[in-house]
Amino acid sequence: MNHIAELAGKDPLSRRYFMEMSAKMTLGVGLSVPFLPKNFKAQDGAKAQNLIYIYLSGGMTHLDTFDAKKGGVMGDTELIDTKVDNMKFGMHMEKLAKQADKLAVINSMTSTQGAHEQGQYIMRTGYEKRATIVHPTIGPWAETLLGKRGDILPDSVVIGQGTSNAGFMDPSKSPLPIADPSGGVPNTQLIVEGERFDRRMEMAQKLGQKFTEKFKYMGPESYVEYYNQANRLLKSDELSAFDISGESNSGDYGSGRLGQGCLLARKLVENGVRVVEVISGGWDMHVDVSGSTASKLPELDTAVSALLKDLEDRGLLDSTLVAIGTEFGRTPDINMNAGRDHYPAAYSCVLAGGGIKGGTVHGETDGSGKKVKSDPMKPEDFLATIGHGMGLNLEETVYSPTQRPFTFADKGVPATKLFG
Amino acid sequence: MNITQFIRTLLIPALCVSFAVSSAHARTWTSTEGKTMQALFLGIEGNNYKFKLANGNEIVVPKDRFIKADQEAAERLNEIGDDTYTKASARKIDTLLAQNLKENGFTSFNDPLPDDLFVRRVYLDIIGRIPTREEFLRFAESARPDKREALIDELLTSPGYASNMFNYFADMYRLHASDFNNGVRMEPYIQWWKEQLENNVHYNDIITTMMTAKGNVGQNPASGFILRDTGMEFDAFANFGQVMLGIDISCAQCHDHPFDEWTQGDFYDMAAFFGNTQRSIGYGGGSMMSGSAREMPNSPEGWYTNFMKWAEDEKGIRPRDQNSNQFRFFMRALGWNVADNEKLETYLPHDFRGSGGKPNEVADPGVILGPAAKTGGKTRREALAEWLVSPDNPRFALVIANRMWSRAFGRPLVGPVTDFSDDMIRGASQPEVLKFVTSEMKRVDYDLREFMRILYNTRAYQSISTAEEPAWADAYYFQGPILRRMRAEQAWDSMMVLANGPEIDEKKGRDGSFYKAVLNIDFNSVDNEEVWKHYEMWNSNRGDRMGAAMVTESSGSDYTPVVMNDTDLRASELAQPAPAASMLDTFGQSDRRITDDHNYDGSVPQVLALMNGPVTERLTGLSSKVIDDLEELDGPDDKVRGVFFTLLNRFPSSDELQLGVSMIEDHGDEGISDLAWALMNSPEFLFIQ
Repeated sequence: MNHIAELAGKDPLSRRYFMEMSAKMTLGVGLSVPFLPKNFKAQDGAKAQNLIYIYLSGGMTHLDTFDAKKGGVMGDTELIDTKVDNMKFGMHMEKLAKQADKLAVINSMTSTQGAHEQGQYIMRTGYEKRATIVHPTIGPWAETLLGKRGDILPDSVVIGQGTSNAGFMDPSKSPLPIADPSGGVPNTQLIVEGERFDRRMEMAQKLGQKFTEKFKYMGPESYVEYYNQANRLLKSDELSAFDISGESNSGDYGSGRLGQGCLLARKLVENGVRVVEVISGGWDMHVDVSGSTASKLPELDTAVSALLKDLEDRGLLDSTLVAIGTEFGRTPDINMNAGRDHYPAAYSCVLAGGGIKGGTVHGETDGSGKKVKSDPMKPEDFLATIGHGMGLNLEETVYSPTQRPFTFADKGVPATKLFG
Repeated sequence: MNITQFIRTLLIPALCVSFAVSSAHARTWTSTEGKTMQALFLGIEGNNYKFKLANGNEIVVPKDRFIKADQEAAERLNEIGDDTYTKASARKIDTLLAQNLKENGFTSFNDPLPDDLFVRRVYLDIIGRIPTREEFLRFAESARPDKREALIDELLTSPGYASNMFNYFADMYRLHASDFNNGVRMEPYIQWWKEQLENNVHYNDIITTMMTAKGNVGQNPASGFILRDTGMEFDAFANFGQVMLGIDISCAQCHDHPFDEWTQGDFYDMAAFFGNTQRSIGYGGGSMMSGSAREMPNSPEGWYTNFMKWAEDEKGIRPRDQNSNQFRFFMRALGWNVADNEKLETYLPHDFRGSGGKPNEVADPGVILGPAAKTGGKTRREALAEWLVSPDNPRFALVIANRMWSRAFGRPLVGPVTDFSDDMIRGASQPEVLKFVTSEMKRVDYDLREFMRILYNTRAYQSISTAEEPAWADAYYFQGPILRRMRAEQAWDSMMVLANGPEIDEKKGRDGSFYKAVLNIDFNSVDNEEVWKHYEMWNSNRGDRMGAAMVTESSGSDYTPVVMNDTDLRASELAQPAPAASMLDTFGQSDRRITDDHNYDGSVPQVLALMNGPVTERLTGLSSKVIDDLEELDGPDDKVRGVFFTLLNRFPSSDELQLGVSMIEDHGDEGISDLAWALMNSPEFLFIQ
């Protein structure tokens, strides 16, 4: 299966060829890209080799989850104790409360983006949304700054309904989108099997040869390579990294998309994918926050606590940073629809694993969860903190094709004290 | 079909090209009795056609003396106009190119394009899809010496033309149906673009209309252009510079431009032409460029707030109330309304640090290039539009001519098309051609169809593609077009025609009419009850509207969206843009967030979709139209040729024929299906050579 990696490693001539190929070729959503040891940088002692970024789209209520308060702002949500003295959660987070010693809870998130699209954009890219450029998400950044890691598998995957492109970076760095965690990689079920499939592939290759010889362009040549890669992928064991049907602890995660997405994320990370985003929808609770949290929060609680435990059991927690992010919090005042509206002024995010000092509460809001009182953390700071954990050089400048300079997380300041 | 005869027609090596060039002023006309004449078509007079003969005499001949094909050609020519200039222009371009090629060490153009490659290329370039087997054969079997010009003319006036052009402009102008949280409905604006292209409205008129539009998208869909980047007005201005002037001045928003002469002050002065453009009368509006204003200057005082108060009093509903989401969405959509408000200004930012101004200063409208804009008696936007499309503007015609050139040749004369300096214009590889096509763009008065007709009739265009990929950094002299991968839309539309036949070109999908009808409210004359009725239409159809509502049936003031879940439509008729991870997205369709963002790169998911995707089975499975249509052909040889004609629009080589025949002999019908699959999965399928 490591045909290319072998060649790249052993034969200097072939290796140079593949280096050139990979430099010139745009390798598309890179399910399989030649391994490039030259680009693989040391991570400066950072512990997190992998990232699982659980993104709650719509705006997770901070009061009912990780920034629980005493008193009227809580509505129907009751406060519960956690394993950590000064950390209080909303009552639906009971499983995570038992693992609070693994978590760094950031209760001082603050943003100026009150609309979903713009809020999600800055929380996933570290940059404000603009109409003149598209900024990459964490996966393409990590691949650029640390080098391509995988051979057959992509460096980053987005699970669920979320944009998945490399922004101004090379399209080959686009995360692979997996809409349904149980669905596997799209179009990997063969139309015809066995000998007949091989016959078709062979014929396609023969019929295409003349054309690719006639034109000395990267385009047709790259397609020949993609067909080889796809063919290898279809026959490889790695494809099974996307198949969670046989996972024995599937039930622990919960049967919803968030739970199954976290399970798939664990499996992918285990198989060498560096960055997995799990996008979960349904967090925009303008109406009936009590009812909505009762259905959504247990899903989150179950999924993340199962994920943390699973990673720990497999010895992956230290090397895998788990982040929970969202675009904003929700209003402390409950509206007349018994819901909570958008609230970017103060909200909560969570980090765990990957060198994070567990049992930490970072920053604080006032008694009603309205104002950040200490250690404010902006979206770019949150991303910078993730980047710091992963050993990304926050000062390394990467230029867009139009020669505009960018650094990871837009000069955000990492909260280095969160790491032990 | 007589194969031998057919081969012969394919082997006539581009005779018609030399013919077209040498007798540029004439066309062959055939009478119903089979007589022919060479004459220049001058126009239609009543039931007669007027011609000019080679000896200079003008004659008038009754329409019905001509064969049907020629009558159709005459109608087209009448619509398109006199083709004398087209041919002369094409020849002039060829002469200029050839001269420059020689000076740069080339003997001449690439070899002339054979008929089969020609027909595939022009179908893809002009109407955005491959030809069907029938269309391919009709062309290949035609013995008419002017069949190439005739096909170009036919395609330029067929329905696929506007659809294909739309995909290009949708990418360039970032046409996106989503509201990006602002609540603006863009569907009517998208439909407006389609109509402009279907009616071949000249480009300068399209731009003028968009730039000076007032009202909301229901009253005036063209206002979608101004509303597109609501909340990001300076980015909108930066995009204006890129798409209409070919300059990227976005860096001057925050500091003086590092490479060009523009200062930060210049950026704001020019942006100030949009500085008193008011975009919102609703709540939640506002603008980083010019502050917000609640009321439209030309509507009854307080209209928006008055209506909300009326709704609260009479109907007991407020946008923020329980279960009033739909009312809120409706009011928000209605609130996006373009007007000119002289009270508004553009202010320099508080952290202004460049030259040409001071922090928080009011910017004075001023252009950064060309002659000054004439501002007297016009709104700022009118003044800017007039300046832009004026013949004296040094950039406008050049930019669109350069873009259209790039569509035909796969490489612009100067580029990248969104950002090139005056030095780059002077240093273009074909400076005379750039100059000439710019003047031609003005001569045809921005009639893009006519302009493209000139390019498609050049010998340069009708050359085989350059065999070796020219490096971007190197000068390219246009000895022929370069090899291009199909756009996502071309690949999709080609699959659509394979699955459905050419009727697909005329099948309509989303047309934006629902939103157009519901939001079409004239604030000056409408009464509150009438507005309420519009809200009820909005509310009662919300499920359909939020789903896939595309076409609206209307009777009186009742509008019911008709839901079309049919995805067997050309790309231009589907959602704009197609959703993430769809076939179109996978093949690189722009997500329309930034300009010209289509990408042509391959990827593993792409080839997986071609290998195993549902579309592939529909196109190559045993019950597919492709395989079904081969029934009428006898014997393995013809069937193999048939598959090649259908998918690659060319003749198989003898090796390929042999391979295909042996597949059929060994595996029967399955072998044909395998062959079709193999052709779809050979790189040749996706490329325009």
